[in-house]
Amino acid sequence: MRRVNVYAPILVLGLLSTGFAVVSVVAGSLTGPKRYNRARLDAYECGIEPTPQPVGGGRFPVKYYLTAMLFIIFDIEIIFLYPWAVAFDSLGLFGLVEMVLFIVTVFVAYAYVWRRGGLDWD
Amino acid sequence: MRTILAGLPGLAAATATAPAMGTGEVWLFWILAPIAVLAALGMLVAKKAVHSALLLALVMFCLAVFYIAEQAPFLGIVQIVVYTGAVMMLFLFVLMLVGVDSSDSLVETLRGQRLAGLLAGAGFAALLMGGIGSAALGTRAGLGPQSASRNVVDIATLLFTRYTWAFEITSALLITAALGTMVLAHRERTAPRPTQRELSEQRFRSGGQLTPLPAPGVFARHNGVHVPGLLPDGTPSELSINKVLAARGDIRSGQELDTPGIAASTEEEK
Amino acid sequence: MSPLTSSVLTATIQAPKIEYSQVAPMLIVLGAAVLGVLVEAFAARRLRYGLQLGIALVGLLAALVSVALLAGAHHIVAMGAVAVDGPTLFMQGSILVFAVLGVLTMAERSLDPGGTAFAAQAASVPGSTAERDAVGAGIMQTEVFPLTMFAVSGMLLFPASTDLLTMFVALEVLSLPLYLLAGMARRRRLLSQEAALKYFLLGAFSSTFFLYGVALLYGYSGSISLTGIADAVSGATGGDALLLIGTALVSVGLLFKLGAAPFHSWTPDVYQGAPTPLTGFMAAATKVAAFGALLRVLYVALGGVRWDWRPMMWAVAILTMVVGAVVAITQTDVKRMLAYSSIAHAGFLLTGVIATSRAGLSSVMFYLLAYGFSTIGAFAVVTLVRNSGGEATHLSQWAGLGRRSPLVAGIFTLFLLAFAGIPLTSGFTSKFAVFSAAMAGGAAPLVVIGVLVSAVAAFFYVRVIVLMFFSEPVGDGTSVVLPSALTTIAITVGAAMTVVLGVLPGWFLHLADQAAVFVR
Repeated sequence: MRRVNVYAPILVLGLLSTGFAVVSVVAGSLTGPKRYNRARLDAYECGIEPTPQPVGGGRFPVKYYLTAMLFIIFDIEIIFLYPWAVAFDSLGLFGLVEMVLFIVTVFVAYAYVWRRGGLDWD
Repeated sequence: MRTILAGLPGLAAATATAPAMGTGEVWLFWILAPIAVLAALGMLVAKKAVHSALLLALVMFCLAVFYIAEQAPFLGIVQIVVYTGAVMMLFLFVLMLVGVDSSDSLVETLRGQRLAGLLAGAGFAALLMGGIGSAALGTRAGLGPQSASRNVVDIATLLFTRYTWAFEITSALLITAALGTMVLAHRERTAPRPTQRELSEQRFRSGGQLTPLPAPGVFARHNGVHVPGLLPDGTPSELSINKVLAARGDIRSGQELDTPGIAASTEEEK
Repeated sequence: MSPLTSSVLTATIQAPKIEYSQVAPMLIVLGAAVLGVLVEAFAARRLRYGLQLGIALVGLLAALVSVALLAGAHHIVAMGAVAVDGPTLFMQGSILVFAVLGVLTMAERSLDPGGTAFAAQAASVPGSTAERDAVGAGIMQTEVFPLTMFAVSGMLLFPASTDLLTMFVALEVLSLPLYLLAGMARRRRLLSQEAALKYFLLGAFSSTFFLYGVALLYGYSGSISLTGIADAVSGATGGDALLLIGTALVSVGLLFKLGAAPFHSWTPDVYQGAPTPLTGFMAAATKVAAFGALLRVLYVALGGVRWDWRPMMWAVAILTMVVGAVVAITQTDVKRMLAYSSIAHAGFLLTGVIATSRAGLSSVMFYLLAYGFSTIGAFAVVTLVRNSGGEATHLSQWAGLGRRSPLVAGIFTLFLLAFAGIPLTSGFTSKFAVFSAAMAGGAAPLVVIGVLVSAVAAFFYVRVIVLMFFSEPVGDGTSVVLPSALTTIAITVGAAMTVVLGVLPGWFLHLADQAAVFVR
């Protein structure tokens, strides 16, 4: 069980972060003024004026899909990077070359999305 | 606890593969298994699609922990990064694209299709279970114990030597995904984007409110967005309140709030 | 974690060896595809069409040359992932020729007043102002070319893969761009988008069948390489549940791609909805790739259990031939009719697969080559017959076409006669080759059914010919539009090869026979 000690800092950090989250929420509700009205209880929209809720609960515009897909592409790249990084010491130069080739190829897609305005938000 | 830790790549070699479940693993199983089962059931019965999706994420997370405990760290990490991360997020995006509250039409377009599908599915499941069950598991070459001690490194070795070609070809798949998303979801401008000057000129030409809108009752007697601001002559300004809040019936006048007793009675008039 | 990890390792990993010259066809096509994406990213809008067309054609022709240079190769390369042998090279050559013809028809701009057969902007909602703006601005979606090149690279790898993992990656690389392209038609866009969605859903479904089968075959043999499975099969005593179910599931995945019944339901909808030039390319090239993969799996990995999978393939072949030919009779749309005809042809091809012999392999390869030329040509002719709403694909609109445009109707008649298997066309030679291989392989009843079904199929082909030449034209503005050199070349090559393979098939039959040995 001595090996558990290696993970003690992680455990402590986990407890600390959970504690911080719980304490902030509880402290806010205990100390804040309680003047409730319906407008105040609405979802906080970061200063954006509330917009009418359309029929069907509101649909996201399809351009969010682009963001989601780009995220997934890099996510899958990470999956390949993980075993590569773990075995990096024994893979040698060829491993580096293979991964660079892979990443460069994927970044061609990234360059395309960027140049064609896929990352602009208007 | 030994087995759980053995699942982590770095410590793998130090701990030999233990066929019997260690105490830690037993605890882990009995804590997480009910959570996973309950979450799976909740996913099926949840009324809101978003709740279903989040419960599914919980199921997948529990599975990931099991994988790691079973000395398959790569599978566990993939489960978390790809499934609980990416696929789940895509799920939610699709839900939001379709509309959270929209439900499937229950009208059968092909008559008897649902029953036929159910029967075919049950038949297929029975066939698979019967077939695979009848095979004496364990004697097959691919079903024996695999060398799990270097899980991630072994995968890296295969991926970057034996299956290099497949690995590099996968990048074509990722480029296709990016191209496809752009083609299907990104509308390029056919006209140049209007400049600020043009937008401003257009606003003045069309007339209407040119100055900023008056603020709601922030510095009057009440500081909420639900109270209209007062004009110099003392009348409430319609422009100062949000139309959506007004439509929801969330707006109160200043007088109502001064005398709580009247507020309840005047609510009906609004 | 790093010091701990490195202490675990005893030896460093050997670098893989990739024989670049042997996989050159795939590398060239992939390179052209990536270059195409870079053009999309950095070239000005008005330059893109010319650049893309040039890159695609040069890339495909260079790949074709490299296939020709590899002739006679017979080995497994790229760390045991890719087989470079006769069937691979024959099919890669066929796919590349079809891709050249396909790209030519896809690039055609003089038929539709708006531009190519692909949507000006696939992301704009059909019927919206955004769509009108995009059409008005005269822009076009040139991503079509790199997407096609990616599909071609997947098709080149699919019949060459020697392990099921590489085969699966190839399957996805070839399918994904096709799903996209199917939804990008310029006219009748909702139909096209519906087709793409159906194709994607059913395709993803069949991919999971394939994967499940791969898992079971791995469970049985402990290997996903075809030779590894073959070794496990030859050492076994009899039919094993894991092996049989695995074989069935992998076959389902592959049979879906080649459109065999009962996995054919996507074919008519997708063939009808997809942009017609793409349909022609897809019908020709995907069939080659899918049959190549099916042949390699069944012959190399599962040749030892052929007595177990042959009954299943018999059933599929009979069902495919009958469904294709019988349902085609009721069709009123030219593209749907050609789709059912393609299903029937998949059935005829399966009789050659069932032969499980060198003759079976060579006859299937020859059939695929012959069918591909005719089908690309036929779909290219369909793009020419138009009215104000786009292509006029309803059969009634083709009435009397032979009187107004005898040349176009004549060429279409040639393709139909080839599909029907009339002597002096490629269809007769290839059907004869396949049926005689099946006969020699002990599948005589199958051949009898095949011949009967061919007679039924001939009925609906002849019906279209009669309609074109002996009916009164309907005056609804349907006419034949004069294409540019691009489509003209594709139709000419298709028609010429249909005749050549029918009249002088000797050299090609010899080539297919020479090539018909799988490396193991």
